[in-house]
Amino acid sequence: MKKRIWLVLSLLALAAAAGCASSGHERNINDPTNSLVFGFVDMDDAPTSISYASIQQVAPPTEEPYWHLSVRKGIFYSAYLPTGSYQLSSFGGSGFFAGEHRYNFPRQGNQTALRIDRPGIYFLGSFKYKTEKSGLFEVGKFSMQKVNKPTEAELLKRILDEGSGVKDSAWRDRIQARLKQIK
Amino acid sequence: MTASRVRLTAALLALALGACAGPARERVDGWSGVGAGETVVVGRIELVPQLRKEEQRIDALNSGSFEKLVYLMADDKNRVLNDEPKTADFDGRIEATLEQTFFVRSSDHPFYILGGVLWLEIGRGQNKAYFPGGLRVPVKTGDKAVYVGTVRYYRDEFWNFSKVTIVDDYDRTNAEYRKKFGTKIPLRKALLTPVK
Repeated sequence: MKKRIWLVLSLLALAAAAGCASSGHERNINDPTNSLVFGFVDMDDAPTSISYASIQQVAPPTEEPYWHLSVRKGIFYSAYLPTGSYQLSSFGGSGFFAGEHRYNFPRQGNQTALRIDRPGIYFLGSFKYKTEKSGLFEVGKFSMQKVNKPTEAELLKRILDEGSGVKDSAWRDRIQARLKQIK
Repeated sequence: MTASRVRLTAALLALALGACAGPARERVDGWSGVGAGETVVVGRIELVPQLRKEEQRIDALNSGSFEKLVYLMADDKNRVLNDEPKTADFDGRIEATLEQTFFVRSSDHPFYILGGVLWLEIGRGQNKAYFPGGLRVPVKTGDKAVYVGTVRYYRDEFWNFSKVTIVDDYDRTNAEYRKKFGTKIPLRKALLTPVK
């Protein structure tokens, strides 16, 4: 019975997390006002890998500030963001022993803060998860250390090759142009 | 940045922490709550640009008690808060609603504003904005009512503070003070000063 309750709780948590992450923003991938925002996180030292992520729109004001990010083997990205100000809001994932985990980013002092003034391709950076000291009764703490690998170009290639619908969209030419630029 | 199991909700944590802190400086509306050796400290906290409704998301039973409320940590001795404030740091705090004049009871001794905290999110996660401190409240022995000014915090959309100014809005505040406390005891102007 106990196991079943935990299963239900986990599923509810998962559903809630998925519900929160779902942005409810309906935009076409080929909309010329879209920006591609992406990054990478190495979660080898974290309790779990990540399976979902969200970015928060902090300006202009909106009733639906959370945008769902696609996640694939450490890469997180969205190809749908309109101009505005954003920062990573949370990651989440689960592990067999660790259970469902959620990794929250602060609203203040967030190193992923980004202003998109015009449509384009924006690289938030590659990071490595690092566990930080926390007290016995405190929530676990972590930091994101900036790392040099994978590079912007490596990640763009992966998004182009593996990203759902990216290759067949207007992003193909834009990503290829960017790759030439940063070569 | 915080990592937590989803089942340990941030809301419970926030409420548990809140429940452990000592009392705030009491808000007063008249002289009946003010004793000998005590003074009424009057001031105001403003944000530029102002807090937008959607910037604060409190999903808690007592959500109203967090709305637009800045917890100003105060102490008799000045200290720099380098880390997350401890529960004890909130003892004797001033609970100031943004853009509203506060009237709180305090001892008639000078004290310091160490910093402030505003809850931005409780529920989906927990998120706070931390306000800079380093301000001296120049209360003098024998003071009965002191106006310390309006602290105006300038910030961007990411909650980076760029400037803090102390604005003298005595005339308007004094009118508010007189309505609550009468005209018998004047409101002395003693604006906050930055600690050097």
